[in-house]
Amino acid sequence: MRMDGSGASGAAPRRPMGSTEGGSLLPSGYASPAQDWFEDRIDLNRHLIKDITSTFIVRVSGDAMEGAGISDGDELIVDRALRPRDGSVVIAVLDGELVIRRLRIAPSGVLLVAAHTAYEPIPVPDPDHLVIWGVATRCLHHV
Amino acid sequence: MSEHRSSIALVDVNNFYVSSERAFDPSLEGRPLVVLSNNDGCVITRSPEAKALGISMGTPWFRIAGQARDWGLEVRSSNYELYGDLSARVMELLGRYTGNLEIYSIDEAFLTLSGPLDAQHRTGTEIRAVVRRHVGLPVCVGIAPTKTLAKLANRWAKGNPGFDGVCHWDLVPEEHRRSLLQRLAVSDIWGVGARNAQRLNAIGIDSAWDLAAADPVGIRKRFSVVLMRTVLELQGTSCITGHESTGNEQVLYSRSFATPVTTRDAMHQALSTYAQGAASRLARKSLQGRVITAFAATSPFSTGPRSAPTVCVPLPAHTANPLELTRAADRLLPLVEEGVPYIRAGVVVTDLRPAGAQALLPVDGSAPKDTGLLLHDVGRRFGRSAIGLGHAGLKAGSDWTMKRDMLSPHYTTKWSELPVVKAR
Repeated sequence: MRMDGSGASGAAPRRPMGSTEGGSLLPSGYASPAQDWFEDRIDLNRHLIKDITSTFIVRVSGDAMEGAGISDGDELIVDRALRPRDGSVVIAVLDGELVIRRLRIAPSGVLLVAAHTAYEPIPVPDPDHLVIWGVATRCLHHV
Repeated sequence: MSEHRSSIALVDVNNFYVSSERAFDPSLEGRPLVVLSNNDGCVITRSPEAKALGISMGTPWFRIAGQARDWGLEVRSSNYELYGDLSARVMELLGRYTGNLEIYSIDEAFLTLSGPLDAQHRTGTEIRAVVRRHVGLPVCVGIAPTKTLAKLANRWAKGNPGFDGVCHWDLVPEEHRRSLLQRLAVSDIWGVGARNAQRLNAIGIDSAWDLAAADPVGIRKRFSVVLMRTVLELQGTSCITGHESTGNEQVLYSRSFATPVTTRDAMHQALSTYAQGAASRLARKSLQGRVITAFAATSPFSTGPRSAPTVCVPLPAHTANPLELTRAADRLLPLVEEGVPYIRAGVVVTDLRPAGAQALLPVDGSAPKDTGLLLHDVGRRFGRSAIGLGHAGLKAGSDWTMKRDMLSPHYTTKWSELPVVKAR
């Protein structure tokens, strides 16, 4: 992974090896190989977002998903186009609110389960009418 | 064997502003909700529940504010930032289904569909499902041989739950189409204004059916070429092309390139030209716009990389200023991919109103130097709260302050205003 090399502590910007800076590495007249080193910086949109039309960022309020590494104040990348499956971390619509839980689909029924012992699983008696707003794909956890 | 024919689909979002608010606040589902215009405080979108309360379009907010609580009426100011982003998402999705997308306004677009008629209908159904799933918005689809009929089919799809949101004109039995046309007043046809409708009524043309049966040449002589086209379109002959559909709802400026544009620089030039073209059209019609959409697209027949970027940019205030429009259209450029052959680009200005309807002071720091003096003079004559820059200068408790309170968060465009999901 190549990051923007300018150091934080006032250190000189680092350059990739093979840079022609100083001009001593290669015979003159030879086309600069440095151009082979240029590529676009890592674009998080490209790597973290599958479909821009269905991707939304939401913010978590509360500690119910703490055990899944999702804390109060974290941001989540949510893809509304994904089909929720057993085990998906989903944003569900419950009583007009957006609620985050892990979806559990078992023969015995459908549950929305927290990742914290203080929160009881929420049974879904009528799964056909459960509205899943989106499926979380990444957590931008504050470390 | 199903019939093959190229058709035009009109896709639009049901109650776009209301649906956008509900997409992020599910507690609004099923409750009466109106969205107000930002500047004059009138109702500009109503949920079906609000319509059922008897609230009509354009009702000034102050007239119903007193009863709002008793009615359980929810009210929101126009959140153009949110609507603009959701619009761009919808348009990008629609572009995946056609090589010929014509954005007509912030919430509607014409698409060319080909292939068997029943496959076109299936595409309409898929579009409806995909927009709902990806963006959370309900759309209706009307498909027909012409734009005017596609508008009618769309309207029919909306009004009749039996269609499940998608109506293909050519797949509707003849007698049903006739009864629809006979029940529809000419004034309700796309492109027929109130004045034309009156004059048509005077010569015995009352319904869409009557107009469809009229002699196009006679209509051109008595009325205009524009109305003749409407007659031809009702008869199934497509004759309203993208370049001409500049009604008073939008101004479109779009071109296909003679040779594909493959660089951001060249696209920048093209967009500047189009934005300025749109600005001069606005000026000619004495109109100003509040939202500009810029788009580009590769050929649908290209086997190479495909790309159809769209941005929808809400402007700080209504404008016909070519500089502002050009700058806004340039927001498309970061989405334009270098080396990809684009064959078409354009801009659409929507949310139009007559120029000079209301003078607003600029809020973006571009105020002329003597604005301070002006504020000072007005303030001294009429009191300090009589005038201010943007919303910062106005007295507390004014209509404007109240309206700002009814603005929902910029859920998708501001990091500090992201939707909150409950983990409790």
